[in-house]
Amino acid sequence: MSRQNADPDIALKVVGAPRWTPEPDPRTPPGDPATLLTIDSDGVVSAFSGKVEYGQGIRNGFAMEIADELDVGVDSVQIVLGDTDLVPQDRGTTGSASTRTVGIQLRRAAATARRALIDLAATRLEVSAGSLKTRDGQVVPDDGSAGVRYADLLSGNSLTLDIPDVVQVKAVEEFQLMGRPARRIDAVSRVTGAAKYAQDVVVSGMLYGKILRPPSYGAKLRQIDTTRAERVSGVVSVVQDGDFVGVVAEREDVAEYAVEAIRARWEESRDTASDWNIPALLKERAEDLTALREGGDLGAGFGSADRVFENTYYVPYVSNAQMEPSASVARWDGDHLTIWSANRGPFAERDSLAEMFGLDTSQVRVTAAEIGGSFGTKTPTVSYEAARLAKAVDAPVRVSYNRAEEFSWSTVRPAATFEIKSGVDADGNIMAWDYAAFHAGENAFRGKRGADILYDVDNVRIGVAASESPLQSGSYRSLGGATNHFAREVHMDEIAVGLGLDPLEFRLRNLTHDRLRPCLIAAAEAFGWATRQQRPGVGYGMAIGYDAGSFTAQCVEVLVENGEARVTRVVVGFDCGLVVNPDGARNQIEGSIIMGMGTALWEAVEFDGGRVLNAGFARYRVPRIADTPEIEVVFTGGDDVPSSGAGEPGIVAIAPAIANAVRDATGTAIQELPIVPRL
Amino acid sequence: MHLKVNDESHEVTVDVERTLLSVLRHELGLTGTKYGCGEGNCGACTVLIDGEATRSCITPVTSAGGRDITTIEGLADGDTLHPVQEAFVEHTAFQCAYCTPGFIMSSTVLLDRNPAPDDEQIRSALSGHICRCGAYVRILKAVKSASSEPVQSEGGAS
Repeated sequence: MSRQNADPDIALKVVGAPRWTPEPDPRTPPGDPATLLTIDSDGVVSAFSGKVEYGQGIRNGFAMEIADELDVGVDSVQIVLGDTDLVPQDRGTTGSASTRTVGIQLRRAAATARRALIDLAATRLEVSAGSLKTRDGQVVPDDGSAGVRYADLLSGNSLTLDIPDVVQVKAVEEFQLMGRPARRIDAVSRVTGAAKYAQDVVVSGMLYGKILRPPSYGAKLRQIDTTRAERVSGVVSVVQDGDFVGVVAEREDVAEYAVEAIRARWEESRDTASDWNIPALLKERAEDLTALREGGDLGAGFGSADRVFENTYYVPYVSNAQMEPSASVARWDGDHLTIWSANRGPFAERDSLAEMFGLDTSQVRVTAAEIGGSFGTKTPTVSYEAARLAKAVDAPVRVSYNRAEEFSWSTVRPAATFEIKSGVDADGNIMAWDYAAFHAGENAFRGKRGADILYDVDNVRIGVAASESPLQSGSYRSLGGATNHFAREVHMDEIAVGLGLDPLEFRLRNLTHDRLRPCLIAAAEAFGWATRQQRPGVGYGMAIGYDAGSFTAQCVEVLVENGEARVTRVVVGFDCGLVVNPDGARNQIEGSIIMGMGTALWEAVEFDGGRVLNAGFARYRVPRIADTPEIEVVFTGGDDVPSSGAGEPGIVAIAPAIANAVRDATGTAIQELPIVPRL
Repeated sequence: MHLKVNDESHEVTVDVERTLLSVLRHELGLTGTKYGCGEGNCGACTVLIDGEATRSCITPVTSAGGRDITTIEGLADGDTLHPVQEAFVEHTAFQCAYCTPGFIMSSTVLLDRNPAPDDEQIRSALSGHICRCGAYVRILKAVKSASSEPVQSEGGAS
């Protein structure tokens, strides 16, 4: 099982294959074996993952898991993230999957190391391994005699261990750190300004690049005069390659000034799509629906229904608008490219850059800086732009987007139009459910997430189609999930209102799901749903949802007055199985609620013919601290249930819950977002 | 020109049209002050000038000459964090933390002037800042706990 390793500083190394599923699954074979964990001769533990930190606290989650498995202090664990030359290729940081996939494999690696440390101590102390346990970075005998520090046990060793097929990780009751609130291990660097984000990375000899942007999506460059830009003091070069034009300068502000001095004529696309006509266009320009699920007999279901409800819903494009605009540093050393960037998937970025420049993946190294928010955006495009400019001027170049570029030239959450037809019997049982979703974007798969229905209904058809997108759509927190849930859960309330049933009662009548039902009951109870007080301008709404293996139910109170809607209180039921770091999970859920509240009330990208019209915070309203509601989170998952995602599922139910509450307050149905401009 | 930043004097040669943010980040390497929007709408670039919370992205560097400038790097006393920084750590009042330096700078000004702000006063004082991770619940708790009348925290990190 163990062998010598070649690195003199590494006393113990654990090798294993990254996994994509919480449990081994023959349908998804593991990745190539790679070093997952090392302990150096001073006893410092390092763990390696291709996941990146963009605020979700994954570094902390991993450190706690490893510290617990190895019985060491969390301070003696280093987490190395997102450097493609150093870490295993364990896929991008998406789908709230880090804790349930990589986390468990790192725990198994740590458990393997712990087992080896006990064996080393057994040999040294001449006792049986069964009489030893680990505590505070030592192996200690049961009889209370003196223990041996890990560093002493490992002194002079250079072991390599493979994770065995069967490895015993700790049970929940043995955890010291996991499951308890914890300070972020990276907290001090984040309150002192020391943390280095992609926008902050400076390498020796670095220049600054700025790209000439077309006036709209799809515009073609027809004529250009760069003379004035070239004459600006501090400009190193104006680079042109077809429609790709950029300025490289000694300073960022000079590059920005010079790019404004370029004179260019563009031929813009004749597309007439705008935020005015897009709801209908999405259906007109869609591919055929792909059936995600068809069950029972839809005709028979509608035949047995006493009432039929049919409505159309629309969710606009929204901007991720993360606080750090995209940035990337590129440096060429001969035919080797090194990138410092804020991408969520360093390996995917490495692979796409290798393809763009015709290189082998071994010639590209991508290193993740700290990431100032992502929520799904931050594409490799900015790295590609930096690499093209760096190659042209033969010097490292950083490209940093400004806010207007980020709003216009980064990706946006796809708009979507939905058609739902449902049939219910006189007792409020759903007899038929016919769902059609038209999501902007090149790929219907992206709209699949969260489209299915977890209520009890036998006769069902779930169809999703991709529709031509006039804007560059990309990922977002729970891409597809948050928008599909809006349509479904608003429709559910429309049925309840139509039947004169309480929204909670109607949902419970159609919900036997063993995790979602108790989650909804717990949220409604904590909220005081049954005893809510009707008052002028005040409305109450609820919605349930599922995402990334987790389940949520949310109840909200809103106050509608003077053309404004204010969310005053939110209670969240949340089942993500075992909660590794309750404070971290709660932080993510609160963030999801705030973010989803923005998409419900105010946010929409305004555009016309490929031009984004509101490319700044002054014209794109996001939640501010004054908008913060009271948020209560109730965890309803079992400790014996494997951990599932916590970063995204919180967002899926909030927008429909708010829409339902505003309808409750005003009596007017909300079928399109955002709400406030329509009040 | 002469810039006094975090009690240190710097002689810098700069174009008059440059912003204070650009000079702090690029000439002095003080990257804790962040670029967020360049329009004074998000608060990520907030620094103190003579004790006033100021948007450095829309402040011409020339207007800051000779005045006392404090950035996030100058807030702690050696290894001892400023009470507001300590409170942000204690309550994990951030996620990605890109906006955090700006929130902290404005919070210190609020607490200097009003040592015991109520919830509405904190919301009002910080409403010019944006946190897209939505850590607002924690920021409110952190600022309250750093005030002279802290309340018992619920749910924050302990």
